[in-house]
Amino acid sequence: MSEAKGRRRDGLALSRALPDRSLLAMVAAMSLLASLTYAGAVGARALSSRWAAGAANLVTVQVPDPEKPAADTTAGSATSMGEATAHKDGASDASSAQTAQFPASQPEKQSGSKTAATPDMTRATAIEAVLQASPDTQLVHRLNASEIDRLLAPWLGAAGASALPLPAVIEVHLSRGAALSTNVIASIAQIAPGSLIERNDEWRVRLLDIARSLLACAALAILLVGTIGAAVIAMATRLGLGARRESIEILHGLGAVDGYVASRFARRVAGLSLAGGVVGTLLALPPLAGIARLMAPLSGGGALTFGSGETGFSIAETMTAFATLCGETPPALLWGLGVVPFAAAFIGWITAQVMVRVWLRRLP
Amino acid sequence: MIRLSNVTWRYGSPTRRAAVGRGTDAATALSSVTFSVPQGGFRWLLGPSGAGKSSLLRLLHLEALPQSGELEILGTHVGVDVKRATLARLRQRVGMVHQDFRLMPTLSISDNVALPLRLERRDEAAVADEVAAILRWVGLSERSDALPAELSGGEQQRAAIARAVIARPGVVLADEPTNALEESQSSRIVGMLREVSTLGATVIVATHNDALVRRFPAPALRLERGRLTSDESNAP
Repeated sequence: MSEAKGRRRDGLALSRALPDRSLLAMVAAMSLLASLTYAGAVGARALSSRWAAGAANLVTVQVPDPEKPAADTTAGSATSMGEATAHKDGASDASSAQTAQFPASQPEKQSGSKTAATPDMTRATAIEAVLQASPDTQLVHRLNASEIDRLLAPWLGAAGASALPLPAVIEVHLSRGAALSTNVIASIAQIAPGSLIERNDEWRVRLLDIARSLLACAALAILLVGTIGAAVIAMATRLGLGARRESIEILHGLGAVDGYVASRFARRVAGLSLAGGVVGTLLALPPLAGIARLMAPLSGGGALTFGSGETGFSIAETMTAFATLCGETPPALLWGLGVVPFAAAFIGWITAQVMVRVWLRRLP
Repeated sequence: MIRLSNVTWRYGSPTRRAAVGRGTDAATALSSVTFSVPQGGFRWLLGPSGAGKSSLLRLLHLEALPQSGELEILGTHVGVDVKRATLARLRQRVGMVHQDFRLMPTLSISDNVALPLRLERRDEAAVADEVAAILRWVGLSERSDALPAELSGGEQQRAAIARAVIARPGVVLADEPTNALEESQSSRIVGMLREVSTLGATVIVATHNDALVRRFPAPALRLERGRLTSDESNAP
């Protein structure tokens, strides 16, 4: 007989003492919950990061009656422009790169080529000029008619917005951490009273707050799942201890140290917990794949298809789609899901160790 | 070697914590017991039921710790402050034979007998040799694969003795080992324990079988109501 096998012939017979199936099922359920919660947290974090990055340092200015002549373009704007021209020279390269994102027809004005507002300008062009002159401005872009149509399509449909008196919409990309100066805001108000300035970074802060709240909730949920899992394992261990009380007392009398008995239980419980963790994590994959498929367009990825070709369901196609999904899944999620079974095993091991050692304290 | 000096033990204090915290209101099982047995000595432990024989053996097997007095087993002082690992190591050097055998019901006789060696993590080949030899000595070679339930009482008790002595302990204790056994089986059991004593182990056998004591004369320790009333160790 082998040495390892011989050591296990100690009469504890833990395979019959512990409620194997129910313990495995409970740990699997806990692991499934933990996997889904963790995936939810990673997904929320990824989405909020993406959205927040898009909204970062962006200000939108809506100018009513944009084609009217500017009310006054001399006072505040002159000051702003004067300040700006002195600061802006070094930023032109970066701004050029960003300008390329917009339609060529749009006359983008960059920091290196500031134009001053003049009294014969319309409200919109005057405000554009003021914004471009601001030292904190990286890029100024006025939405053209087709962009506005696209923006309003969900409300107005394909008919377009050409018949409506709409304000001009100017997007302003500011330097990192910067805000529109009070001088610029005052100039805008002076040039086109009733202009609306929307600071998107407020949304960004709100999104980040929501993401943080979701992450905190997820962490709490995972902690709770871990605690409940530990409690379930503790109860199962107690059942095993009760079932093998006499055997343990005999071994104790023969000189078995606490560590021996505790390790025997811990190894068994950790093995069952590992198996439960693997089962739970595998069960979490199909719903996660489904959610990832739905979220792919929102998070910037392409839509994923699972065996949806003309040939119907295909294992090969599904595997390919799954591989694509893995490729597009955040590494943190893959790592986290991989850790779940081992975390379950560790919780099982440590819980069993503690329970058995505490129980053995009743023996001298 | 076993040495007790004014040892007192009360029920309800099997653990160290209980020994320290709740000892005062528990019933006294042993009171100021003092005696010593040299290495290789054999002693009968006599007394009526409830005299404290089993309590004394529990104490010597370290299933309980004395609340007061001094207890020394194989050169180690045992008190409430002794480490658990020390107690476990010491327990491996004290063999115990119980009245109810306490064999593992799911293990074969050879696996039961091998337990003390496996707990010491001995090499499995050496374990097999040792087990075969000790089973020959107790006359159970043919029953090595049987489960305890398949053996007679006398055979189970011989298996229990084999398990108690296989690791060559310095002390062997037996609590009513011949209870409910036939006369011939009883004599065989006691003969084995005497043999263990001659091989160098200190042996204490609790019994109330006077006939057996007469058949195997040896110094006796007599307990009554938890007190040692007679110690024939120094008797001529």
